[in-house]
Amino acid sequence: MRARDGTMLTEYCMRQQVARETRTLRAAYCLVLVLLLLLFLSTPSCTSRSNRIVVGSKNFTESMVLGEMFAQMIEARTHLEVERRFYLAGTFICHQAIVAGRIDVYPEYTGTALTAVLKEQPGQDKQAVYRRVMQKYENQFGLTLSPPLGFDDTFAIVIRGEDARRLKLRTLSQAATYTPQWRAGFGYEFMERPDGYKGLVAAYGLHFAEAPRIMDLGLITRALKEHQVDIVAGNNTDGLIPALDLFVLEDDRHYFPPYEGVAVMRVAMAREHPEVKAALDALAGAISDEDLRQVNYAVDGQRRDLSAVVRTFLQQRKLIN
Amino acid sequence: MTSSNPRPAIDIDHASFRLSGRDLVHDLTLSVRQGETLVLLGRSGSGKTTTLRLVNRLLEPTAGEVRVNGLRTTDWDPIRLRRGIGYVIQEGGLFPHFTVARNVGLVPRIENWPGERTRARVEEMLSLVGLSADLASRYPAQLSGGQRQRVGVARALAADPPILLLDEPFGALDPITRAELQKEFRALQQRLKKAVIFVTHDLHEALVLGDRVALMEEGRMIEDLPTTEFAHSTKPLVRAYVEAFSDAPERDER
Amino acid sequence: MNFWHFMVTNRQQVLDLTIEHITLVGISILFAVLLGIPLGIMITRKPQLSKLVLGSANVLQTIPALALFGFLLPMPWIGARGGRMAVLALTLYALLPLIRNTYAGIRNVDPAVVEAGRAMGLTDQQLLWQVELPLASGVIVAGIRIATVVSIGLATIAAAIGAGGLGEFIFRGLSMVHYQVILAGAVPAAVLALAADVGLGALERKLGMLYARA
Repeated sequence: MRARDGTMLTEYCMRQQVARETRTLRAAYCLVLVLLLLLFLSTPSCTSRSNRIVVGSKNFTESMVLGEMFAQMIEARTHLEVERRFYLAGTFICHQAIVAGRIDVYPEYTGTALTAVLKEQPGQDKQAVYRRVMQKYENQFGLTLSPPLGFDDTFAIVIRGEDARRLKLRTLSQAATYTPQWRAGFGYEFMERPDGYKGLVAAYGLHFAEAPRIMDLGLITRALKEHQVDIVAGNNTDGLIPALDLFVLEDDRHYFPPYEGVAVMRVAMAREHPEVKAALDALAGAISDEDLRQVNYAVDGQRRDLSAVVRTFLQQRKLIN
Repeated sequence: MTSSNPRPAIDIDHASFRLSGRDLVHDLTLSVRQGETLVLLGRSGSGKTTTLRLVNRLLEPTAGEVRVNGLRTTDWDPIRLRRGIGYVIQEGGLFPHFTVARNVGLVPRIENWPGERTRARVEEMLSLVGLSADLASRYPAQLSGGQRQRVGVARALAADPPILLLDEPFGALDPITRAELQKEFRALQQRLKKAVIFVTHDLHEALVLGDRVALMEEGRMIEDLPTTEFAHSTKPLVRAYVEAFSDAPERDER
Repeated sequence: MNFWHFMVTNRQQVLDLTIEHITLVGISILFAVLLGIPLGIMITRKPQLSKLVLGSANVLQTIPALALFGFLLPMPWIGARGGRMAVLALTLYALLPLIRNTYAGIRNVDPAVVEAGRAMGLTDQQLLWQVELPLASGVIVAGIRIATVVSIGLATIAAAIGAGGLGEFIFRGLSMVHYQVILAGAVPAAVLALAADVGLGALERKLGMLYARA
């Protein structure tokens, strides 16, 4: 096995080893290519997302109610498919999702957009806040707002209906005189926020006999009803307000910042699908504080199906058929 | 860098190597001519391996000089120096992920020899060390100890370096294979005329293979004599060595 | 509606989120490999730095994942997008297995082989690429495998900071207390992790057989 045969054999053997290693290397390259391909497929421009509108919402009833309204309006008035991604865990997640293009629309409050997203001081004037958010959102994030939907989910200072009627109270200023006799109940967040308890007391000169009880938000309204507390801070659009015969004191000194409901949507999507923007704009001013309280109650309190409740509401208002 | 000339191929000049406060090699003077085989004899820890490493600049002397072909190792480009020195160690050091052919052809390849020339050379080396060419595609793990050591020698000789350093290359082999390889090595060296330093602790091997024998102990040179005179040295350590090996069956005479 | 029905009905969303998840993990592992393997190689050349490098990577691992995501929130540019924070955090977590396995893999190469290679006049680069890396490749891929499987799990937490991925299903499902939604996130994530483990494990074994025929 020398000379000629030997030469060929050695050459063959060296080539065999190289071939074996090449095969493994090739397999490795293929794996890398597949991964890169997957990466490429995942970029927004490549998926079939353009004919789907993704509607997001936060993880509480009111946000889902509004999200469902957006979804049904888009479904009724356009030929586009709507995908719902509700229960996203909060403002930050929703904002990240819409900025990254993973969702196209979600319901937000102007006040929250201003303080939580833009990290600015709370504003006082509704229109000023709306304009500022609109401008900043367009410049910084490529997002735009629908016109205000018609309600303001700001803080509400709430007392029992019977007390309001008995003492003939309408505004916070009027109620201030009774505060020394009242027990207050507030949520943890309200106590901590700069535009919460401290500011309220200063704005209206409130004097409570004892320190307010700090309670879980879910228990607060019940505590009010059962006379454990006499005055609480809740949400203006809380469904329990009409249900439990509670009264919202008017914020006559305009202490609480505005939290007008709007639809936040991606500018790119709005340009590509102006019919979606039109569908959402049709909701401008269509939902009042009282409307929203009723719908919230129907879903939360009466435990009726969200989709059905929203459909009924939209049909009654002739927004969809 | 080839045939015999008056200047020694390897010239160790009062070299020392100090590590952690100890001299592994102390004031060593040694030289090897082209064509000459010097056997470095000594116990474990006597500094033999350290001496080899000073020659191919895996270590640098902390005192004195080590010269290869007239130039100090520290003045040589270490890569060029080492490619001109073949190195065979006891464990073999064959690359387990290379075939025999690729192992042997290593230095020619990194020296950018044309592929054909490399292949031919690998063939030649395998036959030189007595291995059949069909072993070329095997991996070291598939070879016997003796075959592995032969491959090690083939690899060391592949680029035709003028100098060969061997560190107990046959130490892990059985006596029969060892004797075989010793004979073959002697024949090879007579043909190739390299400058060789061969490290061993076995006196018999020293007497068979060496033109000269140098005995080291604790980093110091004890005796450095031509082989024929070595066994008759009166130095006590040499005597001790001879005694230790005198119970062995054969004394090889040249 | 049972789990399969939910998955089929929402398959577009499942696919979207799965691809998001793979993207997060893929980019992070890529960065970790590009950073970790050279670092591992470097500390085999400069052992005096090994304590520092390995120690730092170790410290990073001890930070709870969610907390690390949180620390990144106030940072400029990185903190502005959930995806960026997630990739950075996942990369940092993947570093330790990669650096450590590269270091260990190279150090475990038979010293006789390395000495022989050096003595024959291989340059440091040649020694690295032709000897040390091939012989260490099995161990290095083991490090990649570990890093990948861990990252797939950690990436589910990334949804908490808005990075998306399969964790979004899990968090939404938790809010809704709707187990199909939770499973729609958890099951694909587990399948991904398994696939990565098996796939990379096979590559690891193949490389071990191919290169370390000791």
